[in-house]
Amino acid sequence: MEAVVTSPVEEHGHGHEHDHEHHESFIRKYIFSTDHKTIAKQFLGSALFFLFVGGAMALILRWQLAYPGEALPLIGSMLSDRFVSDGVVQPGFFMQMTTMHASVMIFLVIIPLAVGFFGNLCIPLMIGTDDMAFPTLNMFSFWLVPPAAFFLMIGFFHESGAAAAGWTHYPPLSVIGGFGHYMWTIGVFFVGFSSILGAVNYIATVLNKRAPGMKMFDMPLTVWALFITAILAALGTPVLAADLAILFFDQFFHSSFFIPEGWVVADYPNNGGGQPILFQHLFWFYSHPAVYIMLLPVMGVASDVLATFSRKPVYGYKAMVFAIMAIAFLGFIVWGHHMFQSGMNPLLGTTFMLSTIVIAVPSAIKTFNWLGTLWRGSITFSVPMLHALAFVATFVVGGLSGIFMAAAPADVFIHDTYFIVAHIHYVLFGGSLFGIFAGIQYWYPKLFGRRQNETWGQIHFWLTFIFFNLTFFPMHLLGIGGHMRRISDPNVYDFLKPFAGMNEFITICAIILGFAQLILVVNMLMSFKLGKKASRNPWRANSLEWAAPSPPVGHGNFDKPLRSYRGPYEFSLPGKKRDYLPQWKKPAKSESAEESAKQAAGGNGQAAGGGGH
Amino acid sequence: MLDYFPENVSSVGIEHDELFALIYYICVGIFVLVNVVLLVFLIKYRRKKGVRAYHFHGDNLVEFVWTLLPTVLFAGLGFYSDDLWTRMKYQDKVPQADVEIDVMGQQFLWHIRYPGPDGVFGDKIPAEMSSSNPFGIDPKDPNGKDDLVVQNTFNLPINKMIVVHLSSVDVLHSFFLPNFRIKNDAVPGLWIDVWFDCFKAGKYELACAELCGSGHYAMRGVVNMQSEEDYNTWLQGKYDAVTASLQPENSTAEVASPAAESTEAAEEEIVVEESVTEEEAAH
Ligand code: HEM
Ligand SMILES: [Cu+2]
Ligand SMILES: [Cu+2]
Repeated sequence: MEAVVTSPVEEHGHGHEHDHEHHESFIRKYIFSTDHKTIAKQFLGSALFFLFVGGAMALILRWQLAYPGEALPLIGSMLSDRFVSDGVVQPGFFMQMTTMHASVMIFLVIIPLAVGFFGNLCIPLMIGTDDMAFPTLNMFSFWLVPPAAFFLMIGFFHESGAAAAGWTHYPPLSVIGGFGHYMWTIGVFFVGFSSILGAVNYIATVLNKRAPGMKMFDMPLTVWALFITAILAALGTPVLAADLAILFFDQFFHSSFFIPEGWVVADYPNNGGGQPILFQHLFWFYSHPAVYIMLLPVMGVASDVLATFSRKPVYGYKAMVFAIMAIAFLGFIVWGHHMFQSGMNPLLGTTFMLSTIVIAVPSAIKTFNWLGTLWRGSITFSVPMLHALAFVATFVVGGLSGIFMAAAPADVFIHDTYFIVAHIHYVLFGGSLFGIFAGIQYWYPKLFGRRQNETWGQIHFWLTFIFFNLTFFPMHLLGIGGHMRRISDPNVYDFLKPFAGMNEFITICAIILGFAQLILVVNMLMSFKLGKKASRNPWRANSLEWAAPSPPVGHGNFDKPLRSYRGPYEFSLPGKKRDYLPQWKKPAKSESAEESAKQAAGGNGQAAGGGGH
Repeated sequence: MLDYFPENVSSVGIEHDELFALIYYICVGIFVLVNVVLLVFLIKYRRKKGVRAYHFHGDNLVEFVWTLLPTVLFAGLGFYSDDLWTRMKYQDKVPQADVEIDVMGQQFLWHIRYPGPDGVFGDKIPAEMSSSNPFGIDPKDPNGKDDLVVQNTFNLPINKMIVVHLSSVDVLHSFFLPNFRIKNDAVPGLWIDVWFDCFKAGKYELACAELCGSGHYAMRGVVNMQSEEDYNTWLQGKYDAVTASLQPENSTAEVASPAAESTEAAEEEIVVEESVTEEEAAH
């Protein structure tokens, strides 16, 4: 590993001292590393691991729903009899599984991937710098994940079991729930801490460390999205922290912030005077923005992938940026839509209905602009592109089901049914996860210096896309049928008995969907060694990360001084031999004169309505 | 898709189903439009030899139009929906009640309170709440002595406006009547009004829709919607029993007030959780 002599950052005057040894110890290099690429890999590795943990939990849930009262195959006999009896999932264990499945997926998979992985991978490389503004802080933000996981899961080893009050952890249930619930509170606190550390770092990095010449409106949409996401996280997470702190007081010291007077629960010294709904307000004040924390980054990723593989500039770049900002702003005033039926004053329901319905507009704008990007493009169906297209198609479904729930009177029936479960999965699996897969496939060559096997990539994509839809689309029907969420045995209800067949069908599809994900991981692992060596710019894209070697050089990333001359989406310029013009490419004399003339003539080349190109 | 709804039997349900259908048709329209355009683009603009993509950054007028259209459509939908919402939930729009009951959620059953032969509910005092007196009926209030409390299965008349005062003694529950399109959380410390009518006699299931613990899935009730005469007969039978138990010669009247009796039964059910589920599953 060679120290970089002319890193652009030093040139820029923000360099950090290269006082470390050339041969870092193994621990500093691979474990407690401050290199953003290593940290990105750590986030990726841990999140993929937890993807399988959470997936296994989901399959346990699905088994019970399809075959209530039948012993779990394979693992049934291995589980402790605190969880199963004769291999049959017990209701209490089912509740632990719903809670932990969602908690793991949200806090240990999607947030770390969307924010931790993409933030670390993309921000420094795409803005052309050597590392984050605060590399040590960055290291901490990853190393808070293992304690978070520890506290979330530790309940499984206690006789009272893991948290079982749902990922939303509403009191009073979470207050009286016991050990696993208390530990859950602490675990999520760690996740929040990690998010805040990451967020301040991203904000500082984007504002201060852009390569010379790169204006804010020359940044790729991925970076824009991560930047706004960081602001969301920095503003929202402290509120969650406050909420959890109060819950913690209720759990440990019986402070009764969330517990009212007149309450019949044994063994809880109740001081009264509290209000359970307060928890929900604070929780959703963070957790609605959090759904956008999980989504905005991948919206950025999808935009970049769509542009590259249709060889076209992103349609309406500025409109896309403003839509991200609008979502972020509106995201803070819609939280009450999760509480329409909660007993909150229905007058607020009216307000939140209107704000929520408005938040669908920027999502619609983004969808139209993605279609605009494809329009008159020259589209190749590479693996990252397939995932990005699946993202667009399925996100539309999730956005539209959101409209049903946003209309408060229509939400009355479907609230807390499988309709919500379908919505969540269309936005978080169909949206976030397909976007994440697109990004993993797209930047794999850059991060690891190898290409993945294309055929297996395609097989993984098609299996995932087909079985994703077969698993989750029918859940809309269950929801319309009135099938409640978080119930371990639908057969208790006569009106749900007709859905037994559908539940079984969903389970079979879910099992295939789960196992298909092994292909992704095996393909990634095999390609470390067997993949073809990747060139610097395998996708012929324009943004700065493709100027670096694959993989980028040790600490420093770039082997040449770097400057940005234009926006990231100059594809298929007429009259040029090549169909892309990277940001780092110095303009020829005549061109630069032309550029500056254009700029003088009003607006920079990126204006949504440039038209003049 | 819409015919997956369970049968509707309430007048608010009719309006709910109409609104749902309207949103459904709008959303299906948008879905088809977007995905057809997507597919057409994918086929038409797939890479072909010698054809270059069109270098174009976008158009402000187009952006403006496709911002305005969804805004108008969605905002219109929001304002349109609000009317039904106010009539479904606004606590200052509770209609004149023909029948009033109290419903209390408790892990994992429903308590239903009728006013008793005197037709008046006893006062509720939170400090009096206990497992033998889930409603916290004031023991000093004479009106409360004859209140009738039943569990899980209860009867109501059709073609009447029924107002339910809803609360919970422990954790959150949610009062969900699928056939009536009614749902509201039961929140400890809050009394929330929920109302509905019914135009078809029959037995309808009451579900708990908010996670309330390991027995949540089995927190099932049944409401028997009867014609007014049948309902009155049923109620009279219950009330007669209450009156009998309150007779002075019955020396144990104080202890065995109907409310206490029934909750004792209920407690048994809670303790032997397993048996609740089996019983319920057998329904
Ligand atoms: C068009 C935009 C959207 C609208 C109008 C919308 C609306 C809603 C509404 C009203 C609810 C509450 C429903 C209920 O519980 O009764 C909800 C739940 C939810 N939404 Fe969205 N949503 C939108 C987009 C998204 C996105 C993009 C995500 C995530 C990436 C998301 C994630 C969730 C989750 C996780 C829940 C369930 C929370 C829970 O109860 O566990 N939504 N959405
Ligand atoms: Cu939300
Ligand atoms: Cu419940």
